[in-house]
Amino acid sequence: MRSPQFSSFVILIVLLVVFAVADGNFLSPLNISNMMAFLPELGIIALGMTLLLTAGEFDLSVGAVFGLAPVVVMLLVQNAGVDIGVALLAGLLLCIAIGAINGVIVTKIGISSFLVTLSMLLIVRGAALYITQGFPLKSWDQPGFFVTLLAGSFNVGAFRFYTSLWWFIGLSLFAVYVLRYAKLGNWISAIGSNRNAAVARGVPADAVKVWLFILTSVLAGLAGMISAFRISAASPVAGTGYELEVIAMVVVGGTALTGGRGTILGTIVGALMLRAIRNGIVLVGVPGLAYNIFVGVIILAMLILHALLQKSAARSW
Amino acid sequence: MQEVLRLQNLQKSFGSVRALKNASLTLREGEVVALLGDNGAGKSTLIKAISGVFPIDRGDIYVRGEKVSIRTTREAMDLGIETIHQDTSLAPDLSIARNLFLGREPVNLKWLGVFAPLDLAKLRDAASALLKRVGISKKLDADALVSTLSGGERQSIAISRAMQFAAKVIILDEPTNNLGVEETHGVLRFVKEMRAAGHSVLLITHNIHHVFEVADRIIVMRRGEIVAEQTVADTDLLSVESLITGADLSALMKRAQ
Ligand SMILES: Nc1ncnc2c1ncn2[C@@H]1O[C@H](COP(=O)(O)OP(=O)(O)O)[C@@H](O)[C@H]1O
Ligand SMILES: [Mg+2]
Repeated sequence: MRSPQFSSFVILIVLLVVFAVADGNFLSPLNISNMMAFLPELGIIALGMTLLLTAGEFDLSVGAVFGLAPVVVMLLVQNAGVDIGVALLAGLLLCIAIGAINGVIVTKIGISSFLVTLSMLLIVRGAALYITQGFPLKSWDQPGFFVTLLAGSFNVGAFRFYTSLWWFIGLSLFAVYVLRYAKLGNWISAIGSNRNAAVARGVPADAVKVWLFILTSVLAGLAGMISAFRISAASPVAGTGYELEVIAMVVVGGTALTGGRGTILGTIVGALMLRAIRNGIVLVGVPGLAYNIFVGVIILAMLILHALLQKSAARSW
Repeated sequence: MQEVLRLQNLQKSFGSVRALKNASLTLREGEVVALLGDNGAGKSTLIKAISGVFPIDRGDIYVRGEKVSIRTTREAMDLGIETIHQDTSLAPDLSIARNLFLGREPVNLKWLGVFAPLDLAKLRDAASALLKRVGISKKLDADALVSTLSGGERQSIAISRAMQFAAKVIILDEPTNNLGVEETHGVLRFVKEMRAAGHSVLLITHNIHHVFEVADRIIVMRRGEIVAEQTVADTDLLSVESLITGADLSALMKRAQ
C-alpha cells in the first residue's frame, strides 16, 4: 500500500473532499460534467506520455501537436476543399511523421529527448502560427460521423458527457493492459530501467521507442481534434503549456521521470487530480492569477511524498 | 572434443582506436577458456562482437563449423550464445521472473505479437523452478524486484538465465567483480556446473587464481591482439602474469634470485 499510485489516490480523495466541503457546487452535476469534458483531452496525451516516460524518454512537443493537427485538418477542409475524412487522415499522417522524426533523432542520432522535442515544440508551434497567420479557424461544426465520433455528447441523468470520455476509458484500459500484462509492457519497463540490459536480451529498444514517440504524437493530435470539435474552433495556440501539465499528471501519479517505473492507474489519478485542482481552486475563490502557485505547490508536495515513500521502502528491504 | 565456436581474424575499430586487430580463437565443447588481458586489451570488445552488441568490421565467425553472421543480440542468442556482460545485465525495476525471461517471455495468444499477454503463471513457475535448480530459491522470491538484490544475487540471476536457455556458449565478462568471497565461490561453482553440463564457457577475469581453479585453457590479449594461448596444465601463475603485462616476470624473478 506504499505504492505511489495508492498514495496519489488517497491525496486525490482528500482533495475531492476538501473541495466538496469548501464549495457545495464542486460535486454538482454541472461541475462534474465540466471536469469530465476537459479530463480526456489531457488524459489521453498523458497515457502516451506515461508509456514514453516508462521507456525513459519524454515528449515536449505534445502541446504544439495538439494545436497543429486540427489547424492543418481545418485548413485542408476550408481552404483546399478536401473531404473531412481525408483531411483527418492527413492530420493523422502528420502526427505519425512528427512522432517518427522525434523518435528517430533521439534513438539513431542519440540526442536527448529533451532537446529534440523542445526543438520540435518550436517547429510545430511555429508552423501552426505561420500557416494560420496567427488567426484561429472556425472548426468543423456540421454534425456528422466524425464529430459524433470525437466530440458527440450524451446525457446520463443530470450529467452531460462527451464521447471523448469513452476514448479516454478505452485507451486507458488498453494502456493498462499493454504496460502490465503484455510482452510489450515488459519491454517498455526494461528499456527504461536498463536499456543495455534489454538490448542484450534481444529487445528492439530503438524501435519500441520510435513507436512510443509516434503513439504519443498521434494521441496528442487526437486530443487536439477532440478539443477543436468540441469547441468548434481550431486555434494555432491551442494546447500551449500542455506538455508540462501532462508530464505533471504523469509524475504526480507515480511514474518515474527516470524511466523503468510507470503506472497507468497512477496517471489516471494524476489527471483527475490536476483537473480537480484547477477546477476546485476556482470554486473556492482563489484569485485567478494565483492558480499556478497552488498547482505548483500541490505537485511539488506530491513529488516529495513519492520520494519519501520510495526512500522508506528502500530502507525496509 | 568438438569445436563449438571459432573466430577468425576479427577486427573492430572505434574511430581511430583499433580495439580488435585480427583476433582468432576456437572454443570447444565442454571447456572453460579464460580470456585474460589488461584493462583496454579488447576483451569486452571481443565478446560484445560475438554477442551481437555491435557488428564486427571484418572477420568470420563459425558456430559448429558453420559460418554465421551476428549483427544483433537476438541473432547471437538464437545461435546459442548467452552473454553476461560486465556492466549489469538486469533491469532493476523488473521482478526476478520478468528479468529471467526478458526477450523470451512465455505468452498466450502468440499471434498478437508484442501485444500478446504474458503467461504470468508459467513465468512465475518457471522462474521459481529455475531459482530452485540453481539453489537460491530459499532466499529469493521470483516476484521480488531486482533492485532489492545484492550484487552477488544479481550475478546469480544473470548466470541462471544464461543456463536456463541451455546455451552452447556462455560468456562471462568479469563476473566476480565487486562480489564477496562466498558469492565469488558461487559463481565459480556455476562455471564448473556449466562445463559439467556440456556448455562451453568463455570467462573474462582479472583474478588469476580463479583461472587456475576453473579454466582448461587460457587466451591472453594485449592491445587488441591475441598474444598467447596455452592449456592451464602447461603453465603457472608467473608466466601467465608476464604474458598479460608483456614483461618477462619469470626471467626477472630468476635474475633477482
Ligand atoms: N564503445 C566504444 N567506443 C569507443 N572506444 C571503445 C568502445 N569500447 C571500447 N573502446 C576502446 O577499445 C579498447 C578496448 O576496450 P575493452 O574491449 O573494453 O577492453 P577490456 O575489456 O579488455 O578492458 C579500449 O581502448 C577502449 O577505450
Ligand atoms: Mg572489459
